[in-house]
Amino acid sequence: MAFSAVLHPAFLLVVLPLKASLSEVLGEPFQLIPEILTVSIQSKLQQVNLQWTVPNLTHQELKMGFQIEISRMNASNIIWVEDYSTTVKRNQVLHWNWKSEIPLECVTHFIRIRAMVDDANYPPQNSWSNWSSWKEVSVQVSVAPNTLLIFPKSKLLEEGSNVTICLLYGQYLYNVSCMLQKEPIHGEQLDSHVSLIKLNNVVFHSHSGTNIYCQAMNATKTPFGTVLFVSKVLEEPKNFSCETQDFKTLKCSWEPGVDTALTWSQQDSQNYTLYESFSGRSELSDHRNSHNWKITEESQETYNFTLTTENNLRKRSVNIIFNLTHRVHLKAPHDVTLETVDAKKANMTWKMHSRGDNYILLCQVELQHETEVIHECNVSVHMSASYLFSDLEPDTEYKARVRCADANHFWKWSDWAQKAFSTPEAAPSQALDVWRQVRSENGSHVVTLFWKPLLKSQANGKIVSYNIVVENQDRPSEAEHYSVQAPALGTQLSLDMCSYKIHITANNSMGVSPESVMALSNDSGHASYRVNKVEAISHLKPRLTLMSLLTELQKNPGIVNPQSPAMKRYTCGQKANGVDMLRSHTLQQCYPSVLAAKEEVHEKRIKGTKDGFHISWEPLSGDALGYVVDWCAHSRDQHCDLKWKNLGPNTTSTNITSDAFKPGVRYNFRIFEKSVQQNAQLLEKQTGYTQELAPLENPKVIINNFTSNSFILSWPGYDSDFQSAFIEGYRVYLKSKEMQCHPKGKRTSLSDNSVLCEYEIKDPEQKSFTVENLQPESLYEFLVTPYTSAGQGPNETFTKVTTPDENSHMLLKIILPMTLCVLLIVIACYWKSQWVKEKCYPDIPNPYKSSILSLIKSKKNPHLIMNVKDCIPDVLEVINKVEGPKTQCIVSGKPHNEDVSIKPPSSVPTEDGSSGPVPFMFFENFTYDQSAFDSGSHGLNPGPLKDTPGQLGLLTPPDKLLNVLEKDYMKSLAESPTEETSLIYVSQLASPMCGDKDSLVTNSPKPVHCSGYKRQMAVPGRLPSLALSESNSLTSMILLGQGEQ
Amino acid sequence: MRAQLPQRTLLSLALSLLFLSVARTTRRCPSSFPQLLSQLQSQANITGDTGSLLEPYIRLQNLNTPTLRAACAEFPVTFPSEDTLRALSKPRFLSTVQATLGRVLQQLSALAQRFPKTRAFPELEKTRGNVQGIRNNVFCIAQLLNHSLETPKPTQASSGASLSTATTPSIFQTKLDSCRFLWGYHGFMGSVGKVFQEWRDGSNRSRRHSPRRGLLPAWRKGASRIRPSRSSQSPMSRVQAPR
Repeated sequence: MAFSAVLHPAFLLVVLPLKASLSEVLGEPFQLIPEILTVSIQSKLQQVNLQWTVPNLTHQELKMGFQIEISRMNASNIIWVEDYSTTVKRNQVLHWNWKSEIPLECVTHFIRIRAMVDDANYPPQNSWSNWSSWKEVSVQVSVAPNTLLIFPKSKLLEEGSNVTICLLYGQYLYNVSCMLQKEPIHGEQLDSHVSLIKLNNVVFHSHSGTNIYCQAMNATKTPFGTVLFVSKVLEEPKNFSCETQDFKTLKCSWEPGVDTALTWSQQDSQNYTLYESFSGRSELSDHRNSHNWKITEESQETYNFTLTTENNLRKRSVNIIFNLTHRVHLKAPHDVTLETVDAKKANMTWKMHSRGDNYILLCQVELQHETEVIHECNVSVHMSASYLFSDLEPDTEYKARVRCADANHFWKWSDWAQKAFSTPEAAPSQALDVWRQVRSENGSHVVTLFWKPLLKSQANGKIVSYNIVVENQDRPSEAEHYSVQAPALGTQLSLDMCSYKIHITANNSMGVSPESVMALSNDSGHASYRVNKVEAISHLKPRLTLMSLLTELQKNPGIVNPQSPAMKRYTCGQKANGVDMLRSHTLQQCYPSVLAAKEEVHEKRIKGTKDGFHISWEPLSGDALGYVVDWCAHSRDQHCDLKWKNLGPNTTSTNITSDAFKPGVRYNFRIFEKSVQQNAQLLEKQTGYTQELAPLENPKVIINNFTSNSFILSWPGYDSDFQSAFIEGYRVYLKSKEMQCHPKGKRTSLSDNSVLCEYEIKDPEQKSFTVENLQPESLYEFLVTPYTSAGQGPNETFTKVTTPDENSHMLLKIILPMTLCVLLIVIACYWKSQWVKEKCYPDIPNPYKSSILSLIKSKKNPHLIMNVKDCIPDVLEVINKVEGPKTQCIVSGKPHNEDVSIKPPSSVPTEDGSSGPVPFMFFENFTYDQSAFDSGSHGLNPGPLKDTPGQLGLLTPPDKLLNVLEKDYMKSLAESPTEETSLIYVSQLASPMCGDKDSLVTNSPKPVHCSGYKRQMAVPGRLPSLALSESNSLTSMILLGQGEQ
Repeated sequence: MRAQLPQRTLLSLALSLLFLSVARTTRRCPSSFPQLLSQLQSQANITGDTGSLLEPYIRLQNLNTPTLRAACAEFPVTFPSEDTLRALSKPRFLSTVQATLGRVLQQLSALAQRFPKTRAFPELEKTRGNVQGIRNNVFCIAQLLNHSLETPKPTQASSGASLSTATTPSIFQTKLDSCRFLWGYHGFMGSVGKVFQEWRDGSNRSRRHSPRRGLLPAWRKGASRIRPSRSSQSPMSRVQAPR
């Protein structure tokens, strides 16, 4: 048994080579048919792994070729054929894999293989071997009814790649729609239960993946889906480099590119690995963009680095090779110091981290001022170095910095090391730019000095103050010193009329600036005059005394009047005025003020541009030291922000530009010539606008001489000098219905049948206009507006005016005085009304307001009142009111102002039939009369009075009672047949005209002086007053006068 | 032996940390019941808002389509319904909340592991902090009422608070399940807030009408046994959507 076991292999070993040899000898093809061992599937990778072997391999090694076929769904549907060559060892299991584009769960695949010997050491096998048998490749997936399965369940793929998704339908499922995020996608049906969706060139959507989900109409609403995790393409690291600062560490850095990490654990961020080939070391970087590589072997000079980045889908590498000494990035210099030598020099020192003095370093030194590099240089140094900065500016802050690099193998500059420093102050280096403005005020010069601040480069430090020395040229010994604290840029001096020299300097802590000098002649306050003709005289006779000059001037009376105020002003501010004083001055000292009265420098108009003004002038003399142009805005405000510009001697024009120039603002320019003596003489005055604008306001118009045919419009208050342009004139618009325009005006008919007349006033100084040929009692409307080169004033509302009637003014002349007179009388009357009242018609008591009457009225019980009818009077007594003895009764009584009518006194009869010489008046009391009519019960009726006195009520009002009594009394007196006459008794309880009312004496039968009774009369009720006056028989009266009754 | 030692060490470390945590929590517990209740209600209202977590999640996971939103909302992971919670006694309610939120924390932690870049989903960390805060306050309020929080018997609904892990679902399914879980979580917190509001209302009312009758009688009553209301026995009624 054991023998046979040993013999059998030995037999095979002998037979098989023999068989092969026989095949070779016989020429038959020897076939090595591969044998498939296993076919496995990796679903997630959609990969088929094939393992096979080549049985009957007689050689230890044999180079062979294999051909593998894959078919889908059925064996005949071959979709893939691949050749694979390898060296096959005896009994070796060979591997091959294949990735399917379709998820393997969806479709069944079949695979087979065949082989062919492809080894030169052996006779070639001319043909393939037979195929192995088909092997089925499938994943068993069961799909429940009404459900849907989508494969792959999730997929990681790179942006831009293609993917196929398959859907497996369960039973009873139809009408399935799929969406990619929010977009519908469509597939192709592979068979009744499988459909494929092919997506090409997929794009990255988010780190959370791209959702694909499907839903069947007839199934549950739960969507079935999958997630595609689309990764961005891994980028190659860029700018990979390594360098060292200390020869101990190599710092390698690179730009990593986009992060390809995905959520749901699909893919982490890509990692970075460094591999150095000479040392064979490999290190995984902790950072995405750098790694510190420790230098372990100092002897290694050359490095060969490979940087590899990798994610789940891809791997990329970059490589560098370098010499270590060529990649030295020095550390920044240290111990940097700066020492100022003086105000303009500073010395800088620094040290370097270096491997020794043998190494030469290149250093770059920079000097910065206000972030601007003002100096730069390179120096070669060893471990320590210094550098001297010169030509610095005093009192200035600087920043010095330095950086270095290896001079032999320049790789990179080190970082900067910097230090700030300041230079000390120095005395100001530049004289001030000064100017002045002079005006005369109360016999003195008010001098306003201006100066511009020194530039920082000129000031050399902080300016503390400005010193001003005023030197009197007439009395050189007298010099006054002033100090103005910074930052003031001007001051004001009050000087007399002498000539002065003003010295101005600026001070800082280190010293004084060069001085600026201005000469101030005694005419400076009248600088608006220009020397002209007499100047020639002064040139001819420079030492001419003032009196001689006056003589000269008198010979030329056309030039100047020596008695003019300007001449008189020549006093130099001295207390001693007069000729003697004048004689002491030479012409050169004093002639300007004399000559100043000659010719006024006229103002010239110039036209500016938006950039400014072009100023030009004619030089006065050939030896000018220079020119000054000053200017300021022309405004009503006295304050002038004076600006000036200094110009050289040969200049006759300049452009004045300023950001402060505004359109519509007038600017006044003055051009001065500076003499050698620093005197400034006004040459020209110019004025203009950068841009003229239309006037912003119309004048306020006053109407004068207003008549029925004309009126005058005037606007004297309109200041044409302070407008937004030069006023060229005015336009007067007059509007009315059916008006005839003046021939000078332009007529325009308006839509409402009115006429608009336009009159143009071309003289800007004319500020009145007479509107003529007007119709009386007509409405006119007018508007006055100025115009400039830029247009006319605003369109405002027309002012309405109505012309008066022709006679109205005459009426006015009459009515007005009359009205005034009446008004005066009324006022006077009112003023004296109390006096008049007292004198003419004092108060008469109202009987109805008597207390007795009120007493009677208050007793309502009629039984309490005694009826007249119940009483039989036996005696009638006339009660007279007795006046006090003091009363001087005025016979001519004054009428009551309310209810008294005046009767002619001549018609009144007297007791004896003779009318006395004393004039008197009697009264008719209508109040009582009316009350008599009204009181029907017991009053008197206008009918015949037949009742006896006994029938009269005793308690009738006293007046009525008195009337009755009077009647009888009068009847008894006159014995006239008046019983048949109807009478109205008008009576009156007279208050005493003179004397006290309370002193009424009722039982005094005697006539007394100054009786208080007023006149009483009986008036026939039906007769007019005239009849009454004519019938003496019908009237009677009681006269109580001085002894008369 | 070597392997057991670290395990023991870890266990003891975890226990000591837990003890410390409880101790710290105990020390920080406010003594005012109304204040705690008010705070809890506010926290519940905040966490009940879907804008605090669900909406950011939906945007982050690209689930913001009508179909997926509907799938998320119509089949939420079930939490104890509002009726169920209302029917519970107060001790039982507190225990249920505590336990449910414990499971929520686990789920949130699991969810956080899916997002290596926490910066991309900061709301998740914030919510975890809030939930932990609510649990602390629940602990405090239970302590104030002398009640130890015991693990309640799971109600029918509460069993749904954890995601099924029987089979490994696809990522798409996990996305949807997480969405449903968050939906249910927000709804649960809204319900908890309402119950706390009722507590506050009842507390105020009882304080007005019967100062002596506070929470304790109800507490004792609820502590005896848990009797879910009839409505809570209906599975459908337990499913609720957040407002």
